[in-house]
Amino acid sequence: MSKGHFGKFGGRYVPEMLIPALEELEKEYLGAKADKNFKNEFNHHLRNFAGRPTPLTFARNLTEKLGGAKIYLKNEGLNHTGAHKITHCIGHALMAKRMGKKKIIAETGAGQHGLASAAVAAKFGFSCKVYMGATDVERQRPNVFWMERLGAEVIPVSFGSKTLKDAVNAAIKDWIENVEDSYYLLGSVVGPHPYPTMTRDFQSVVGKEARKQILKEEGRLPKRVIACVGGGSNAMGIFSGFLKEKNVKLIGVEAGGTGNAAGEHSSRFNGGSLGIVEGYKSIFLQDDDGQLQKTHSIAAGLDYAGVGPELSYLQSKGKILFASATDSEALNAFELLSKYEGIFPALESSHALAYAIREAPKLDKEDSIIVNISGRGDKDLFIVANALKDKQFGDFLKAESSKDGYNE
Amino acid sequence: MNKIDKKILELKDQGRMGLMTHLVVGFPSIEKTISYAKIMEDSGADFIELQIPFSDPIVDGPTIMNACDVALSNGTKVSNAIETMKILSNELSIPLLFMAYYNNLFKYGLERFCKDSRTAGASGLIVPDIPIEEEPNEHFIKTAEKNNLYPIRVLSPASTLERMRKNSRVAKGFIYCTARQGITGVRNRIDPKTVSYLNSVKREINVPIAVGFGISGREHILSLSKHADIAVVGSAIINVINKDYSKAEAKMAEFVRSLLFDT
Ligand SMILES: Cc1ncc(COP(=O)(O)O)c(C=O)c1O
Repeated sequence: MSKGHFGKFGGRYVPEMLIPALEELEKEYLGAKADKNFKNEFNHHLRNFAGRPTPLTFARNLTEKLGGAKIYLKNEGLNHTGAHKITHCIGHALMAKRMGKKKIIAETGAGQHGLASAAVAAKFGFSCKVYMGATDVERQRPNVFWMERLGAEVIPVSFGSKTLKDAVNAAIKDWIENVEDSYYLLGSVVGPHPYPTMTRDFQSVVGKEARKQILKEEGRLPKRVIACVGGGSNAMGIFSGFLKEKNVKLIGVEAGGTGNAAGEHSSRFNGGSLGIVEGYKSIFLQDDDGQLQKTHSIAAGLDYAGVGPELSYLQSKGKILFASATDSEALNAFELLSKYEGIFPALESSHALAYAIREAPKLDKEDSIIVNISGRGDKDLFIVANALKDKQFGDFLKAESSKDGYNE
Repeated sequence: MNKIDKKILELKDQGRMGLMTHLVVGFPSIEKTISYAKIMEDSGADFIELQIPFSDPIVDGPTIMNACDVALSNGTKVSNAIETMKILSNELSIPLLFMAYYNNLFKYGLERFCKDSRTAGASGLIVPDIPIEEEPNEHFIKTAEKNNLYPIRVLSPASTLERMRKNSRVAKGFIYCTARQGITGVRNRIDPKTVSYLNSVKREINVPIAVGFGISGREHILSLSKHADIAVVGSAIINVINKDYSKAEAKMAEFVRSLLFDT
């Protein structure tokens, strides 16, 4: 491993108090990587706890409707806890165990990484604190509830923009204070070295599976692999299986939100610039003074001002193309997949799907594309119901909230 | 000669520990920052650290974070911080340093920032999130020195011997040791391990030592005075401002004097 630079991106731009801890983590990780037992244990829990491998599902009806390339769905939503996040959480939990840590600190946006962190903490016997922006606590309450049931303490962060970036800041600060007995379980391929590398490595199982599965189904590689990009963990996971292939185009889909102005979207590659925040150098949505800007997305997991350094590097080399999908395109994709394929995609993943819907008709019928359905949409029940203006659901909520249990 | 060196010689002559006080530029306003800084010098502060407000201050606790939020919502820009530095360096004689996060310098342009800061009269830069390992990519130390600004190195109780030595080799002016493994913010007591850690730093390096993080009163300073050369007081000062904006000037003078003299 280099010092964690991907070209000019990445690195370890942290205060002195974290450097020894990151050096130790890197050293331990290199040890674990070379350790057969670690690998076996990781694979064991992926199979028997997370439910891997996840299927690659041919979306026949949607393909026929769109009349272009065959659309395959890598259904990460079938993982335990409902998203790809459990995969790297198992890897990190095993690292925490190996290092003799007692506590897990995590941050979360949509709550999916927090949920997966809380689940592995329960399973492997760690205490768990999850930092979550106050805005995200409000819009992802079901996940907060479930995290708490798993025994985690969810701490709302009401500084700054009250979303994922602020949760990351708060989690790092907790780690600085408690570095001795705590393991920071960072939720995506962001942050200081070695996090982007470790989390990518853990997630790379998704790319390996998808590659094998598509070859089995189609006998050849797909033309496109499409993934949504918040920090970039699900994207790096699936892309890593196809990075060396010249004829497979990799497309990262960012949140286009409601418009192009600052604060209306989270498309780092459409308005962002090079910066150094939260321990890594990458593309950030920031003003000309280097202050991070507010971001927006209907999908909390994409609502983040930074992006993994390796993705910025691969973008700069032309190996990953970036596109965006708006809130309403994502909602539309959500509805299409539900009605045509019987699958609720997470709103994050719906962004990738929205791009695929645009792209498939332009390709040959013989071609195939893979869309990473990074999570399932159950967690988005309230957001979708509201966006669809489902009045009866609103009445149901009112009736529910007047029940005794909530009013004592 | 850099003003920081002159000040340190003066402290040695007088046989006393120096005091560095802290302000966030633009909190609660630029005018107030300027007036507080003058009061600090008049009340006996030896150095002032002017923090450039940042949206994501990774080593700061709630007190300074909130001050940054207020300063930014007042519209404080990096260029305003440099103008403030210029005004203050004309009016004050003690050394003034910028405390900042690296991204603000990077976006402003490191070379341009160093040049403008020097022209504005700054003596040093305290930038906690630019470790020595990134120097080959960023040339922060080199660029600061080229502009006659001291790039102050930061150590923490978690720093290994190797890291102490590595940082001390490039240290200029003084080394900033965080009194505890943690973030900024007022604490009731000084961690008992702080003294032995400061002593081990002293054994390894031959630049003066500043100690900060959690220091809020004269008794803290006295307990550290034999083990470090400069005490840094940050969040405790902001708390004085927070208590009552309208009386902050009078309270500020009183507080700074209370740090320096027995009452
Ligand atoms: C289902 C789902 N997909 C995607 C993301 C975005 O994260 P990443 O880009 O790291 O995969 C999240 C984050 O919370 C998520 O829950």
